[in-house]
Amino acid sequence: MGLDRRAFIKFIVGGAAGTLFTPIPWKLADDSSIWSQNWSWIPRLKSGAVTADATYSKLCSAGCAVKVKKVGGLAFGVKGNADNALSQGGVCPLCANGAQMLRSPARVAGPMKKDGSAFKAISWDEAEALLADKLKGLKGQSGKVAAISGDGSGTANEVLSGFLAGLGSSAYYYMPSDQTTMAKAWNGIMGGSGQIGYDLEGADLVLCIGADIMDAFGPTVRNQKAIAAKRPIEGDKTVTLLYAGPVRTRTAAVADTWVPVSPDGGAAFALGLANLLIKSGKGASLGGFGEFAELAAKFGPDAVEKAAGVKTEALMTVAKALLMAKNPVVVVGSGSGQGGGVALAAAGVALNALLGSLTVLPEFPKAVSHAPDRSGLLAKDVVAWLADVDAGKAPTPEVLFVYEANPAYALPQAAAMAKTLDKAGLLVSFSTYMDETAALADLILPAPHPFERLDDAQSPYGLGKATYLLATAVAAPEKDCKSTPDFILGLAGKLGVDLGFGAFEDVLKAKVQAIGADWDALAAGGAFVSDRKGSAQADLGASALAKAAAAPKAQGTLLAALDHLNIGTGALATPPHALLTVRDTELYGKDLFVQMCAATAKSLGVSEGAKVKLTAGGSEITARVALNEGVMTGVVAAPLGLGRTAWDPFTKGKGDNVSKILAVSAEPGTGYSVWAGSAVSVAKM
Amino acid sequence: MHAKEFKIRWGMVIDVDKCTGCGACMVACQVENNIAPVTPEVDAWAGVAYDASNKLRTLNWLTVYEINNKKAFPEYEVAYMPRPCMQCASPACVPVCPVVATDKNEEGGIVSQIYPRCIGCRYCMAACPYHARYFNWFDPTWPAGMAKALSPSTSTRPRGVVEKCNFCHTRFQQAKDKARQEGGDPNSLADGAYNTACAEVCPSGAILFGDLNNPAHKVHALAHSKHSFRLLERLGLGPQVYYYSKREWVHRLGDNYLPNEKKA
Repeated sequence: MGLDRRAFIKFIVGGAAGTLFTPIPWKLADDSSIWSQNWSWIPRLKSGAVTADATYSKLCSAGCAVKVKKVGGLAFGVKGNADNALSQGGVCPLCANGAQMLRSPARVAGPMKKDGSAFKAISWDEAEALLADKLKGLKGQSGKVAAISGDGSGTANEVLSGFLAGLGSSAYYYMPSDQTTMAKAWNGIMGGSGQIGYDLEGADLVLCIGADIMDAFGPTVRNQKAIAAKRPIEGDKTVTLLYAGPVRTRTAAVADTWVPVSPDGGAAFALGLANLLIKSGKGASLGGFGEFAELAAKFGPDAVEKAAGVKTEALMTVAKALLMAKNPVVVVGSGSGQGGGVALAAAGVALNALLGSLTVLPEFPKAVSHAPDRSGLLAKDVVAWLADVDAGKAPTPEVLFVYEANPAYALPQAAAMAKTLDKAGLLVSFSTYMDETAALADLILPAPHPFERLDDAQSPYGLGKATYLLATAVAAPEKDCKSTPDFILGLAGKLGVDLGFGAFEDVLKAKVQAIGADWDALAAGGAFVSDRKGSAQADLGASALAKAAAAPKAQGTLLAALDHLNIGTGALATPPHALLTVRDTELYGKDLFVQMCAATAKSLGVSEGAKVKLTAGGSEITARVALNEGVMTGVVAAPLGLGRTAWDPFTKGKGDNVSKILAVSAEPGTGYSVWAGSAVSVAKM
Repeated sequence: MHAKEFKIRWGMVIDVDKCTGCGACMVACQVENNIAPVTPEVDAWAGVAYDASNKLRTLNWLTVYEINNKKAFPEYEVAYMPRPCMQCASPACVPVCPVVATDKNEEGGIVSQIYPRCIGCRYCMAACPYHARYFNWFDPTWPAGMAKALSPSTSTRPRGVVEKCNFCHTRFQQAKDKARQEGGDPNSLADGAYNTACAEVCPSGAILFGDLNNPAHKVHALAHSKHSFRLLERLGLGPQVYYYSKREWVHRLGDNYLPNEKKA
C-alpha cells in the first residue's frame, strides 16, 4: 500500500486534530509560558513561618510603633502596632521602609578608618584602642571632645553626654529642630522645666502656626490619628483644624482653614492673636504677664498685616474661633521642622497659657546620674557653636562624635558647616548608613539599624502626655555593627570614666525601673503613658521676646523650606521604595523643583520649568520652577532632603540640597540661630 | 455592558478630605507586592536614565495623585487622591485580553492578573481609563541583598508582563483560611478580617476597605453616601473604589465635566 497524496493529507490533518484531544499542546503552551518567565536571575520568594515582632522604629524623627513582619525569620516588611497608643496601627512613609532599609545599599558594612581619600576596614577592637589612645590625652580639657546628636528622645544621649562630662567636656549638642527651639524658649528664656506638650487628643480646635503636624512636626502618625479620630468620615467633626503658614502644606490640605502667613511672620501673627485674646479678657498666671500684655498690644491688626501679611478679618476670625473653642491648642513650629525663632516658640507658649491649654510634660528620671539634664542640652545652639569654632572663638574639637545625625548635610549653610566639621581632629560618625557626614568622617563606627538594636524613646516632642517606649532587636544583624551606647560604655571603662553601667541594656532597665514601667510590657510593644503633669511655672520672657519680635522684616523673596517625611530626613535619605512617592513638582530626573505662585514667578521674570539659581547664606543651588498657587506671593517653597552627595544610586546627585541656602542670623534678644523665612535671591539661568 | 452581580464585592472608600498625601500607602503596597524599586538604568540611545525620579518606567499599583481646584492664591485648594485598581464591575481591560490573562473574579469581584499567561501586548493598559495597569519594562532587581527576604504574598514578575493592584489578594485567601480554621464562614468575613496593605498602614485612616454588599461593613453605607463618587463614573465601568469628599470641586474633577455643565 503506497502513500498517496490523499492518504498523506488525511494523516497530517488527522494527526493534527488528534493531538488536540491529547494534553500535549496545552501542556506545551502552558510550560512555555511558565518557563519563558522563569529565569534564574529573578528573585524567588523565601518560604517559612510568617511572624511579626513588635518594636519601636526610629527611622523617622519621632518614631513609629511597628510590628516587623518576618518570613522564615527574615524581616521583609512592617505593619503598624494597633495596640500601641502612640501610632495606633499607622506607619509613616519612612518607617514603612524599615525592613528594606535593613539591606539598603547605603549601609556601612563595619567599622572603617579613613585612609587617604578612601576607607579601610578595621576591627571594633582596633577602633576602640584608637579612640582610647586619642581621648586619653584630652581628658579634662574643656571643649576638646564634643558630640552632636540627632536623637531627641533616646537614653543613649545620657550615656554619650555622661561620657563627655566624665572627660570634662560639656560640648554636647543636639541637631536643630522644633524641639530644640522650644527648649531654648521654655527651658532657656522662660525658665520653665520639663517639656512642652500638645494635647491634640483632648482638643476641639487645633491651630498650627507654621507647624506642619501631618508631615514634619513631631510624631506625625500620632498627630494624624489624633485629628482623624475626631473627624469621622460620616458624623460630626469634633475638632477644627486651622493652619497658618506661607505654604498650603499637607496639614493645610486637610485643614478647615488655611491662613497664609509670611515665613517670618509667625511670631507677629501669634502675638496679634494674644493681643486680641487679652483684650477679650484672657489672662495667664505665668510671670511677667503685664509686660507681655504691653508687648502684645503693639501687635494690633495693622501691625500684624504689615509683619505677617495677614488681613484683619482673617486674624479676627482665628481669634474668635480660639475664644469660642472649649479646648483649643496652638502648635507652633517651622514648616521645615527647624530654624524657627525663639520668639514664635515663646509666643506659642503664651497663647496656650492664655487659652488655658498649656501642657508641660515632666522629664523622666535619668538613668546615668551624672549625665547633664536633657532640657539644658536641648536648649543649646549647635549652629552658633560651630560658627564660633569656625571663627576661632570656641576651641576646635580634637574628637567630634556624631550620633544619629548628619550635620554635614542637614545643618543650615550646609557647605560651610561641613567645612567646619572637617576641622575636627578626629570626626567620628556612628551612622548606620554612608551619609554625607560619614563620608567626611575619619572614623565610621556603624550603629545597628533600629530593628537590630535595643533603644528607647522618652516623650518624643509633640506628644500630650509623658510617654516612654522601648525598641528591641527584632531582626538579625545584617552588618558588623555595634550599639553606640554599648561601645561608649566600653570606651568609658577603658578610660576610667565611671558611668555606673557596663551595658546599655542595664541602663535601660534602670530607666524603666526608675519611671515605674514594666519592661516586659514595653518589650512587647506597649507604651508607658503617664498622666503626671509637669510644672507650668515660668516667666513669659517678654523683654527678650520684645527685642526678637521687633527684628526688621526680611526684604525681597523669602524662602520657605519644607520638610516632607516621604523624601526623608536629614539623617535618612529617601529610601529606594519611597523615591516613587516624590512628586514631579519636587524632583524630576536630576532637577530639583522649587514652588512659587504665578504672581511671584512673574515678578521674578521666570516661568514654569525655567531653570533658576537660588542664592543665600553665601551658597547657591540650582532648580527649576514649578508653579503652585498654594505658595504665598513673594515666597519660594523648596523641599529639603534632596541633593545627596553620598548614600546610594537612588538618591545621590538627585536635585540639590536646600539646606545650603538656609541663611543663618542671630535672633535679636535671644541670640539664637534662626533661618526660617530667610531671604533668597532668585535669578534665571 | 451588563455587569455581573456577585454576592461579595470587595471595595474601598477613600476619604479625600482626610488624605494628607504622605505616601505611606504607596510604600506599603510596594513592600507587600514585591514591586522592586526601579534601579537607575540608563538608555544611552534615548539619553534617559529610567528610575523613580522620573517615573517613566516605574511600577506603582497605587499612585497618590495631587489635585487642585485650579484657583489662584489664596483661593487655591489641594487634595490627594490615592488611586489603586478600580476593580471595575465591567472592566475594560478584561475583554481586550487576547490570552485571558485577566478576569473578573466571581469571588469578591476582584480583577485578577495571571502573570504567566500575560504576553505583554498591553491592550489592557490601553483600555484602562484609570491608568491602573503597569508594564514591566525591566526584570525586577532589588539592590544587592534587599531581595533576601521578599514578601511571601506575591510572586515576582519578569519583564514583559503587565501587572496591577489586586487588593492584596493573598490576604483575602489568608482571611478565608483563617475563617475556616476558626469555624467561621469564609464567605461572610467580618469587617476588617480582610484588609489591604495600603488601608492597614494609612496613618490618617483615609482608606477604608470592606465588602460593599455587606451592610455590616463600614464601606457599605459610605459608598451610598451623597458625598461619595467614583472616578469617571459616566464611563459606566462601575468601579468598586469610591471616593468621599464634601468638596464640590473634588467631585467635579472625578469626571469629565465641562466648565458650565451641571453635575449629575
